[in-house]
Amino acid sequence: MEKLAVIGLSREQDVFIEALMRLGVVQINAQEAKLCDEKWSELIDKDDAGKWVSKWEAELDRIENALNMMDRFIDRKAPLIRERTRISEQEFDSTLEYEHEIRRQMLRITKISRRYNHMLLRENKAVTARQALLPWQDYDIPAQDYQTQSTQVWQGVIPGSNDSADFLKILAGKTGYADAEVVHSDNEQHYISVVFYEPAAEEVHSVLRDLGFNRIALPINSGSVREAINELEAQIDAVQAEKKSMIEQVRSFASFEPTLKLYYDEISMRKDRAVIREKFLVTDSTFYLEGWYPKIARKKVEALLQENSCYYEIAQPGKEEDTPVLLLNKEIVQPFEAITKLYSLPASRGIDATPFFSFFYALFFGMMLSDAAYGIIITVGTFVIRRKYHLEGMLKQMIDMFFLCGISTTFWGVMFGSFFGDIITQVSTNFFGHAVHFPTLWFSPINDPMRLLFFSLTLGLIHIFLAMGISAYMAIRDGQPMDALFDTGFWYILILSLIGYLGGGMVEGLPVALPVVCKWIALVSALGIAATGGRRSKGVIGKVVGGLGSLYGITGYLSDILSYSRILALGLATGVISSVFNTLGTLAGSGLMGAFVMLLAFCIGHPYNIAINALGAFVHSCRLQYVEFFGRFYQSGGEGFRPFCENTKYVTILKEEL
Amino acid sequence: MNGIIFDGVFFAMVGAAIAGLACCGSAMGIGIAGQAASGVVSEDPKKFGQALLLQALPGTQGIYGLLIAFVIMNKIGLLGGSGALDLTMVQGLYIMASAVPVGLVGIVSGSAQGKAAAAAIMLISKRPEEVAKGMVYTAMVETYAVLALLISFLMLNSIQL
Repeated sequence: MEKLAVIGLSREQDVFIEALMRLGVVQINAQEAKLCDEKWSELIDKDDAGKWVSKWEAELDRIENALNMMDRFIDRKAPLIRERTRISEQEFDSTLEYEHEIRRQMLRITKISRRYNHMLLRENKAVTARQALLPWQDYDIPAQDYQTQSTQVWQGVIPGSNDSADFLKILAGKTGYADAEVVHSDNEQHYISVVFYEPAAEEVHSVLRDLGFNRIALPINSGSVREAINELEAQIDAVQAEKKSMIEQVRSFASFEPTLKLYYDEISMRKDRAVIREKFLVTDSTFYLEGWYPKIARKKVEALLQENSCYYEIAQPGKEEDTPVLLLNKEIVQPFEAITKLYSLPASRGIDATPFFSFFYALFFGMMLSDAAYGIIITVGTFVIRRKYHLEGMLKQMIDMFFLCGISTTFWGVMFGSFFGDIITQVSTNFFGHAVHFPTLWFSPINDPMRLLFFSLTLGLIHIFLAMGISAYMAIRDGQPMDALFDTGFWYILILSLIGYLGGGMVEGLPVALPVVCKWIALVSALGIAATGGRRSKGVIGKVVGGLGSLYGITGYLSDILSYSRILALGLATGVISSVFNTLGTLAGSGLMGAFVMLLAFCIGHPYNIAINALGAFVHSCRLQYVEFFGRFYQSGGEGFRPFCENTKYVTILKEEL
Repeated sequence: MNGIIFDGVFFAMVGAAIAGLACCGSAMGIGIAGQAASGVVSEDPKKFGQALLLQALPGTQGIYGLLIAFVIMNKIGLLGGSGALDLTMVQGLYIMASAVPVGLVGIVSGSAQGKAAAAAIMLISKRPEEVAKGMVYTAMVETYAVLALLISFLMLNSIQL
């Protein structure tokens, strides 16, 4: 990373910002500190484009509204993986020449959307009203007669648990001025109409209240209820027809959708350009900005600045300064950056671990899954996905990573002689009567697990030694070579000599003196560790305790190395589970029925096995990196590099390489 | 009756059954994780995939149990079609002992891993981009199921019939 400070002329600012966005390699920093600095604050001001930001945001809302509308009503198959449309710069610009027309179309859709929402509201209202009237549909007193000169008609309900016949009887018994009729009854309520003599209204009301009568005002002004319902239904039909025609209208815009998406991206870029101006400082006729860019982009950045006649300064970051972090790796290990990012980006003074662990990641994954057929499935599957889709970012890296892991899985499958477990042996024995074996290039872990255990632990030892080596390198880089010797060198010697001491006697052909020599070397290096481990503590007691404590770290090394035994365990799990399914498949014997059962066991068992064990291999390979490997040296916590660039949602504008 | 009780094959079968008990741990673990997953998905159905991934993690203990049970049955010839081997009582007890680590540890680590997975599912409800960290925390528990599996397998492998 290098630091950039630029001064340019205001009249060229817009062009410059656009070019900077197009280049997309500079991260622009906020300048709050300078605004508070007295030396600066008299001269400069914060650039303000708030008005533009809100203008473009409002436009984005409108487009989004139109797009949502189209999304809702235009039927199409949702793609398995969403990818951005690739489009050339020329095509992008030429489409935008018709911006005015695009905007007009877009506004037409938003207008339809507004009206559509209005229709929905009306429909809801009509449906609710109709629902309320339905129980009254056989009620034939027209609404204009609810109130005559000396009578009044009330409609109302009593709870369904009351007896409606009782109601009529009690009402007739208590007052002679009213007559009631039950219009309709359902589970919850009795719907009752009451006619009464108006001058006696008070008496009637009190009787009705005592009877639990609840008055309802029917939402009609004239005519019978039936007529009102008919009218509402006609209204609902009309609204629905209108809705349908609106949906048709929206559908007629289907071919316009890609253009609208492109327009969306253009507007969102305009918004980004307005937003970034808040990080600029301005005077009346000049602007100022500071930012980071990756070293490799220096030529391009300088060319751009010169083209726009800007004055600029380039500075190296200070020792204590935290720069943004961008991972740059060779193509072959680049997919494994995904694993690093899943953990956390390295600190700006840290080391990107990707190139160191990539090989081990694929190796461990392959050994854990270790089945040639599964490997081929993963490899081919990811290859097809990569050919079919233009993937970007993390997803692309993950797919590429699984592609490489698939190759490793195939390799180890052949080494360990596993192809869908032992399906070839099982099928040939069961159906054809003589056993054919899938070739085993090295050995079969199920028959010789100890051998694979030692091999796994050896790989683990190499893996851990590599991590310690990186940690030593970092110490030397930071000018602490003694740290490298004390914290890494002594441990190298101690671990190797311990292995020689404990294991040297078991292997024949080695000099007899080896264990003895190793024993003394181990003792000396252990003393070294105990003597230097507490060098940072104060006081004699602190140093002694610190030294012994650091020697106790041997248990950590032991458990870390043993942790690699999971490679064996997970490898066994894949192999044994697939042979469980294969054995189940042969239980029905040979013949047609046997073949059917075999097919069934195969089709259920192996997809399950591949899914669960690929997940296991992924997680446990990650763990071996994160805990055993990263733990020894990795410094995380860097801020990701976020350049000011074309951050689009629907289209990718292809860059023309000059 | 004595004939059955002191039969080596009987003890070996008990061993296979003990190994199978590891499934209890997985069942508990997946159940716990599933409850948390449903809660998170009720807020945001898009997290179904991630939650399912985490829920599946405590499933391995059951698989390890099945693995050891299968290896035992294979070793004593129950699956070969030619009938069980003739085992002495001591051999049967050896086999039974070898199944204890995977069965017992499976129960404990399965439910413990389920709790860790449930917490990881809570984690993705707030920060879905950190799913890998949740997975690693959950996988830490599994280490001990893996070790138990290895112990069982190596013990079993060293028994001579």
